[in-house]
Amino acid sequence: MIELVEVSKVYHRGPEVIQALDHLNVQIDAGEFVAITGKSGCGKSTLLHIIGGLESVSRGKVLLDGCDLAQLREPARTEFRRDRVGVVFQSFNLLPLLTLEENVALPRVLQGASYDQARQEAAHWLGEVGLSGRQGHKPHQVSGGEMQRAAIARALINQPAVILADEPTGNLDSVTAAQILALFSHLHRQWGKTIILVSHAPEAGSAADRVLRLADGRLLA
Amino acid sequence: MRAWLFRISFSHLAQYPGRTLLGILGIALGTAVYLSISLAAASALQSFQVGVTAVAGQAEWRIQTPGAPLDESLFVKVRRLASVAAAAPAVESVLSLAGVHRGPVLLLGIDPFSERPFRDYEFAHAGVLSDTAWTEVLTRPDAVLVSGPLASLLGLKVGDGLAVMVGPRRRALRVAGIFTSRRGLYPLDGAVLLMDIGPAQELLDRVGGLDYIDVIGAGPPAEVQKRLQEALPPGVEVVRPSAQGSRTEGLVASYRLNLAVLSAIALFVGMFLIYQSVTLSVVRRRREIGLLRTLGMTPGQVLLLFLAEGLASGLVGGLLGLGLGVGLARGVLAVMTQNLSSLYMPVAAQEVGVQGGLLLQAWGLAVAATLLAAYLPAREAARTQLRAVWHREELEEIIESKAGLIFGWGLVALVLAGVGAYAKINDGPPWPGFVAAFLILLGFALFTPLAARLLGQGLQPVLRKILGPAGDLGCRYLAGAMSRSAVSIAALACALGMLIAVTVMIGSFRQTVNDWVSRAISGDIFFGPAVFSTAAYDQYLPPEVLAELRQDPDVADIYLYRCVRIPFKHRYILVIGGSFEVLARHGGLWFRQGDTRAIMERVGRVEGGGEEEAIMGQGPGKKDYTATMSHDDNRKPETENRKPSVVISEPLAETLHLQEGGTITLPTPSGPQTLTIAGVFYDYRTDGPSVWMDISLFRRFWRDTHLNAVRLYLKDPARVPQVQARLQERYGDRYRLLALSHRDLRNGILRIFDETFALTYALEGVAVVVAVFGIITTFLVLIRERERDLALLQAIGASRRQILGMVLVESGLAGGLSFGLGAACGSVLSLLLIFVINKQAFGWTIQLHFTPAIYWQTLILVLTLSLAAAAYPAWRAIQPHLAAILKEE
Repeated sequence: MIELVEVSKVYHRGPEVIQALDHLNVQIDAGEFVAITGKSGCGKSTLLHIIGGLESVSRGKVLLDGCDLAQLREPARTEFRRDRVGVVFQSFNLLPLLTLEENVALPRVLQGASYDQARQEAAHWLGEVGLSGRQGHKPHQVSGGEMQRAAIARALINQPAVILADEPTGNLDSVTAAQILALFSHLHRQWGKTIILVSHAPEAGSAADRVLRLADGRLLA
Repeated sequence: MRAWLFRISFSHLAQYPGRTLLGILGIALGTAVYLSISLAAASALQSFQVGVTAVAGQAEWRIQTPGAPLDESLFVKVRRLASVAAAAPAVESVLSLAGVHRGPVLLLGIDPFSERPFRDYEFAHAGVLSDTAWTEVLTRPDAVLVSGPLASLLGLKVGDGLAVMVGPRRRALRVAGIFTSRRGLYPLDGAVLLMDIGPAQELLDRVGGLDYIDVIGAGPPAEVQKRLQEALPPGVEVVRPSAQGSRTEGLVASYRLNLAVLSAIALFVGMFLIYQSVTLSVVRRRREIGLLRTLGMTPGQVLLLFLAEGLASGLVGGLLGLGLGVGLARGVLAVMTQNLSSLYMPVAAQEVGVQGGLLLQAWGLAVAATLLAAYLPAREAARTQLRAVWHREELEEIIESKAGLIFGWGLVALVLAGVGAYAKINDGPPWPGFVAAFLILLGFALFTPLAARLLGQGLQPVLRKILGPAGDLGCRYLAGAMSRSAVSIAALACALGMLIAVTVMIGSFRQTVNDWVSRAISGDIFFGPAVFSTAAYDQYLPPEVLAELRQDPDVADIYLYRCVRIPFKHRYILVIGGSFEVLARHGGLWFRQGDTRAIMERVGRVEGGGEEEAIMGQGPGKKDYTATMSHDDNRKPETENRKPSVVISEPLAETLHLQEGGTITLPTPSGPQTLTIAGVFYDYRTDGPSVWMDISLFRRFWRDTHLNAVRLYLKDPARVPQVQARLQERYGDRYRLLALSHRDLRNGILRIFDETFALTYALEGVAVVVAVFGIITTFLVLIRERERDLALLQAIGASRRQILGMVLVESGLAGGLSFGLGAACGSVLSLLLIFVINKQAFGWTIQLHFTPAIYWQTLILVLTLSLAAAAYPAWRAIQPHLAAILKEE
């Protein structure tokens, strides 16, 4: 279970103070598919990054199964990011030097698995997201939708409890976006993963169990 | 429109001030080094030329005997010739000041009554020297007129004493007056003394002899020369006074050229920096190019955009380099003056003359170099297809696919370098060799992309096994980011290659000289005037000292040595008379072929010489060569079938294409003499190629009884320290003579050697610094650009240690590859420097001695620098601001 208690996040841009999250309280159960929506700049990506351990809070607590992320030192945060969450980005963020299979295998290798083992698993997950036969391609050789599928496979390979998706359909056309959302639904149903998906698109909410609406760093009722 | 375009470029330069500054500094350093060498060389030679001009004055012709004094009776004969309007005799010598201020001073012995048409001296006291002063100059044997600059420097006034060293003897002179030059031209930077010719001849031990007679002709020049030549005896030549300057320039031409080429290398490495800077800019701004092209910008405008960026760096870096170069030139001049004085001729330049032409040349070169370096990436940017613009990875793939082709071009460059290395030149600078050197650098630079790919791919499985993901990804990045890192690796490889090559060359040269001193210079003690300079041809050993040495119970054999410098085929050469019978007994020259002893004996066997020479009865070899003089004066030149033998130095053989068994015709005071070449020996003197003959033959041709020095062979070599100390005590202060042991001589030679090459090392150091700028810039940019990748790796679970490890693996491999290519390139270059360029420029055979230390020292240096260069940006990249980096646009 993920629990955010009185979480605030403040950015300083020169003399300007930006309140990205404002005393936020959220609870997400294990296996739940939550969509966070809101206008651009409302704080939804910040919320996702905080849950994913990519960013720290200014105030409050982020508890994952009772463990406070803010108390973790960097090595433990690294392990947390590697083992407990999988992140999918809007612009895919695949390493251009690596093939799709290698990109997917990378988190397993970082976890300490052997290359052969990691590549076998990567091939499996690429199959799961419908990219069998594209293992040897490099990111620039495939379409945006395929890149995002590979990114989802990469997020899954370490079998994390939580999948965080930051505007995963933002760079895709509507047909491909629908396919990606369907893929998330499928993964949720089949693997029972906790999925937290951030999107400013209203249709993202249709795939989720629950929709949280953010405005000015606060949850709308 | 263009102004607007340039604004885009300049804003990019301003956006990355660190990288821009490094590029500018690279060019500035290259320009500064090039300019400082040019200015210092020009100033040193100008100082010498000013001296030549000042001494020549209005003279149109100079009558002289190569390497020997003229009979003074010729002066009267010349002055009476109808084709001569005016004539002035002179003797001159470079003495040493013996007071608090040391240093060279030129003593000119002149005939005051003949001088006026020639030289524009102006004397103190309203332009007229007082009667008392003139009387003093003409009557007192120690009276001298001192130049204004020297008088100011030493605080001299009329009536003061002035101590000088004339060869080994200290002499006290008296200042009779002070003179200035109307045009401000002085030899030796103003250190000049004038003396009446009679006392000067006595002071210099040249009574009855003149160094030259200056002449102003009456009639057409060709006619004057013809009439003069007809009136003069054989062996006396009529030349233009300026010939001395041009021969001297020829003497130091190779020295200058080598420094100029080395300084150009710093600029060459700077070009890599600009190339790399613009390449990185092109790579980084591909999206911007795509956008501008999409909006309608033409390829030509894209080209201009990037050329403007290079040009701006060149203009600013060049200007900065000019300032730095002028500042550096003073220090370079001091080193160069010291080198030239100890290697070639006395030079006393102290002020750097800032010449507008040289400044413009250096700046123009900097701008041209940067434009050339910027052109290739700029053209690449202009030609890029729009689709590729948006996908940098495609560019990497293109480069990867062309790596083999680029490697092929590298091979072509090496083949052409081989052709250049084999190209023979008859005379002048070894340009084909220099071209070959640049082709070798280029060739190895072109090997870089393929080498980077193969190294990255080859080591990937190994490093993956050892270091895990850090090793794996580090290798991948090395192999996969060639558009960015290959140029930096190539630049560093070139700089390291030059460093290694020059070090191996200098190390080999030093070892060869060391061997040469051991093998080719025999003798236990070297005894002569205390002037450790090869330019001291008129420093003599007092005859009474030789007589005393012959009686010395410790001395077994004495080798006599006399050296003159003569003009020969548009250059100066040395003619050396030595006791070849002594050399035959003890060894002493290192011949490139033939039996040493047989050659020595052949040269020592002088027709009619041996039987005339009285043996002094103190053991074998103690001959009194001075006794042969009077008998030989009227000897006719040797006939063709009874040609005496000489040996010549390798540089002379190489430059004039002479061989063992051939002949050489020397101009001598006894007329031209055709001599058989009995052998060619290795010789590493820097003051000119040389011809060696037996001293009795030398004396027959030159009619000269002087000795410059002797070598002593002791009965008991273990007594060298005692005999050395005794000689020093007995003659050191009295005659200012110096007794050097073989070890002292070797150390002295090697000290001069090291001083000579100090400048070379400094130049190489600058090239390496410039290249290091390149590697730092590259990693700063590479890692900054890869921040997103690194943040992503952290986001998916890579630890900071893994990220840091990955970056360090990549930079370590880049450094290692630079070293590998540089070491290979340097080794090949060192062979070229040793066996081609040095051979062609100086005629020296250098034995190859590899210097292993330079390889591991360079490796440590490069790995340290590469890792340090990458550590900072890598550390920056792992700071906890992942979200900001990964945040979507």
